[in-house]
Amino acid sequence: MAGKSGRTIQAVPQNSAKKMIFSWEGALVVLFIALNIFNMIISPSYNITNILREMPKYLAEIFMLFGMAYILVLGDIDISVGSIVCLSATLACVASNAGLPMVLVIAVCLLVGTACGFINGIILTRFTELPAMIVTLATQIIFRGIAEILLGSGGSVSLKDTSGFNALAMKIGPVPLVFFLVVIAAVIFTVILAKTTFGRKLYAIGSNSTAAYYAGVKVQKVRLIVFTVTGLLAGLCALFLTSALFGANTTTGQGFEMDVIAMAVFGGIATTGGKGNLVGGIISAFIIVLLRIALGQINLNPQLILVIIGALLIIAVLIPGINNAIQAKRKMKSA
Amino acid sequence: MEKKSVWKKITGSREASLVIVLIVLCIIVEILNPTFLSPTNIGQIFRNNALTMIMALGMLCILLTGGIDISITSILAFSGMSVGMLLKYDILHNTFLLFLIAAAIGLVAGGLNGLIISKGKVTPIICTMGFMYIWRGLAYVMSNSAWASGEDVAGFSDFGKDGSIGPYVLLVLVYMIFFVMMKWSKFGRKIYAVGSNAEAARISGINVDRILTSAYAIMGLLAGICGALSVAIYASAQPNMQYGKEMDVIAACVIGGVSMSGGRGTVVGTFFGALIMAIIAKALPLVGIDSIAQNTVKGVIILAVVLLNVITQRVMDKQNLERREM
Amino acid sequence: MSEYILELKGITKIFPGVKALNNVHFQLKPGEVHALMGENGAGKSTFIKVITGVHAAEEGQMFLEGKEVHFKGPRDASAAGIAAVYQHPTSYPELSVTENIFMGHEQMKNGMIQWKAMNQEAEKLLARLNADFKVTEEMGALSVAQQQMVEIAKALSTNAKIIILDEPTASLTQNESENLYRIVEALRDEGVSIIFISHRFEDMYRLASRVTVFRDSQYIGTYNVDEISNADLIKAMVGREISDMFPKPDVKIGKEMFRIEGLSRTGFFKNVSLNVHAGEIVGMTGLVGAGRTETIESVCGITKADSGKVFLDGKELHVKQPLDAIKEGIILLPEDRQRQGLIMSWGLGRNVTLPIQSETAKNGFNNEKKEREIAKQYLEEVDTKAVTIFDPATSLSGGNQQKVVVAKALAQKNMKLIIMDEPTKGVDVGAKAEIYAIMGELAKQGYGIIMISSEMPEILGMCDRIYVMCGGKITGCLDRGEASQEGILQLAMEKGGYDKKEEAAK
Repeated sequence: MAGKSGRTIQAVPQNSAKKMIFSWEGALVVLFIALNIFNMIISPSYNITNILREMPKYLAEIFMLFGMAYILVLGDIDISVGSIVCLSATLACVASNAGLPMVLVIAVCLLVGTACGFINGIILTRFTELPAMIVTLATQIIFRGIAEILLGSGGSVSLKDTSGFNALAMKIGPVPLVFFLVVIAAVIFTVILAKTTFGRKLYAIGSNSTAAYYAGVKVQKVRLIVFTVTGLLAGLCALFLTSALFGANTTTGQGFEMDVIAMAVFGGIATTGGKGNLVGGIISAFIIVLLRIALGQINLNPQLILVIIGALLIIAVLIPGINNAIQAKRKMKSA
Repeated sequence: MEKKSVWKKITGSREASLVIVLIVLCIIVEILNPTFLSPTNIGQIFRNNALTMIMALGMLCILLTGGIDISITSILAFSGMSVGMLLKYDILHNTFLLFLIAAAIGLVAGGLNGLIISKGKVTPIICTMGFMYIWRGLAYVMSNSAWASGEDVAGFSDFGKDGSIGPYVLLVLVYMIFFVMMKWSKFGRKIYAVGSNAEAARISGINVDRILTSAYAIMGLLAGICGALSVAIYASAQPNMQYGKEMDVIAACVIGGVSMSGGRGTVVGTFFGALIMAIIAKALPLVGIDSIAQNTVKGVIILAVVLLNVITQRVMDKQNLERREM
Repeated sequence: MSEYILELKGITKIFPGVKALNNVHFQLKPGEVHALMGENGAGKSTFIKVITGVHAAEEGQMFLEGKEVHFKGPRDASAAGIAAVYQHPTSYPELSVTENIFMGHEQMKNGMIQWKAMNQEAEKLLARLNADFKVTEEMGALSVAQQQMVEIAKALSTNAKIIILDEPTASLTQNESENLYRIVEALRDEGVSIIFISHRFEDMYRLASRVTVFRDSQYIGTYNVDEISNADLIKAMVGREISDMFPKPDVKIGKEMFRIEGLSRTGFFKNVSLNVHAGEIVGMTGLVGAGRTETIESVCGITKADSGKVFLDGKELHVKQPLDAIKEGIILLPEDRQRQGLIMSWGLGRNVTLPIQSETAKNGFNNEKKEREIAKQYLEEVDTKAVTIFDPATSLSGGNQQKVVVAKALAQKNMKLIIMDEPTKGVDVGAKAEIYAIMGELAKQGYGIIMISSEMPEILGMCDRIYVMCGGKITGCLDRGEASQEGILQLAMEKGGYDKKEEAAK
């Protein structure tokens, strides 16, 4: 019963180089280069050796970007990730100080993160009426609250024996191990999002979860997986953060949720779901990390760096709106 | 039909059930600690929770519109540090003017939130998360991470010192204004309308963007005033002041029956919600829970109340369906 | 003074790519009830929105009491005395009845809202409508019929001279409809002019003195109700003899392939049993809210039934979620294309291959090339009017969107039973015929087909058997030979379930 009109429909994708250069990712690459030049101007000590040396403590955060990007593509949000880092790091230190072997310490750290993410996911998928914002706002307080209880009145814990964590902080040549892991994770998560059926499901849910459900996508299962994996990534972040800081306190991981949301949004991932990819997110993650390193080198008040990242976040979320407004105006003029 | 009306009375009047909870809580705490209901102690509770109680009103407006604002304590810190710095460097000592400046700072900060959220179509949580770090950071930067001590703010802090009626007057005043505004003014009802059904509000000619902006501006205004009040009550100004207390404010609203999806909530409910929060905080050490666990308890309470609301709604929906079936 | 209180001339309204109204006319006499009829997608709702100032027309004039008016927004229309009660009440569920009535025009004194006066006024308005609920109740706690009364009270509170009712009886029971008729008659007697949109002939005969018919965005004519026959009116609405439209092929009906036994879900449907044979097109009809869609949604795993059994090819199914039904070969074309059927921001190709992406994929990696081929094949097969498979679904008309949904179903190779829920809702005439042709073709190939529809012509024209539902129950099953419009309506209105019991309780 072929179409009566014999109409044919084009099915050849167009890959124009021009499109790629003028895309958001293209703009980010330019920004990335510009930032490096800017950094070199403001900070005389901004060079490869120093960057590699200072990088580990900032890099750990990027693990969570992958999870957060998935969550945002789903149209959800998780603002408890910073608190999960705090709780995982705290328990890892407690476990280490209790004399557990390093393998078990790592397991504790990752399991705690995974469990926290799973709790978020289970609440959200059992009570689908609730927006993720509200649930993770509550668990944000609870996870950090539990860490506060564990840390006691001192509010901090230091590693007694740093040897195990030192191994994690090891370097392969001049490059820290964590850098390789971030790169590997980046490749894996980018490919899953862009090339697999699972990634396609994320976009389907974020674009229209009802239609996705009708088409046979197990919406709640996918959400549960993504929130749980994000918890695991927060645990991974906690592990490497601890190996850089040799301890944890009540403020560990504070503001990380904003950092990673800023990275994702700045990378072109819409907070409304269904849009964006990880390539932009990863470039903007390195932009933010390098900016932090440079600003740290010139001894800028760390609080001011938070101000700058906050401002970047606001600007990034405003861009689509402004873009739409400009295009609407153009349409009005041409009409 | 009879069953329905009883059910409705309990769920319909959130205030009534809140009063019951409050009384039960008071009795329990009074038994554990017989000095609890003394006038001094009650006065202390109000003084120590004045900031939360006042800001809960602004949060009420925002939650009614279906939004959220987690930048409030950062706005508070920024306006409070501004007051502290003005005092520290002897630029200004007039209490009224200082409050006015703090209020203006808050109004601008809140208005900025409102404009970005309404005109820029930015999700409230993202926008206020950004400003949470911006204002807090600027509070540190402004003071160069130092703080204004009790000596610096002496004189001004008379307004809020123990025994001064200042905080109480302010508290009563703000609650009276909001009580009238939310119930008897067109503006107040428009906030409810926007939160209940923004599309219908637009069709009936309400300027939804303006209402949204105003709600955030009001929140900012109250946070600004609380910045000055905080300096007065605690006789110091620090960049980290009231850190994390936005959760108390949200919790007070949620306990007070304010819906986080918008359209539902009252000034009276908010007041009782804030009071219950305050008494729970007071009662925790008495029942052997360390004060260090307070945040956890708060989080659990928020989560429990929110989940309870969902479950109640599900039960009610099911009952409605069964009624239909009969 | 003009003879007409409201007159519209040559109204044309264009939406991107579609002429929603093409040079339509309308005249409303003072104190009359005027029915506006037409099929889904005929332009009635758009027309109402032009009158109430929600949409601005590109061309045409509008006269109110002989004077030309230009409404810039809904406020202007309401100030001019025009009020509309929409199909889905546009209310504030969390607020009280009084507030819903007076939102936007509260009674004020010294800047304070006068609750007492407003409550009294609201009580008076509700008393006029014989309402049985309090003004302090929350809107969300009221039934649909009660909410409608509040909307009517709202219209009255603005002293509206013209009230527009958009499908007001669609989700009402017989008793509730009767009450609404009484209200409308009372308003008419008080001198209010009423525009009444409805699909139900019963409504029209009962209330209206004149009827205007739209078809395919165009004005067809205005008739006196007592002068036009039912058949002529249907012809005016549908525009052709029913038989031309429906290419129902003669198919040899095979053996039973699908059966539901005693399926129930509290509050939605009760004890539903039906069966489908291979090559058979089975219709499910009834009024809106009769439980047709809900029944089918339970079969497809979208919601859970409380009890009952479902069999496919003699095997009992245990469907817990949509994926289970899809795997068994039960494919649903949902009622709401834009919300349930398609991801509107996506390209057509991705929409078509979403349910089968796992089958084409290798080790979890999408096989994009194969997906493109499949999408192209099926989109061409249903003759979608599109340039590339990458066009977003938003760029298509309603009919072509529906074709994409059909292509998506056809791409699923294991399909055995296809369920189409209102497949021609909001679809233009040309595309309708094409969709019917596809249905006929599928029946020929031996698939079982269930079509849910409220549109009598297509139910009568396409189906071998017709199940009629009312109040969550199947009230009858008619064979093609014995089915008639009257017979179906009789069954669809048969309130076997609720009303009779309610009356008995009284």
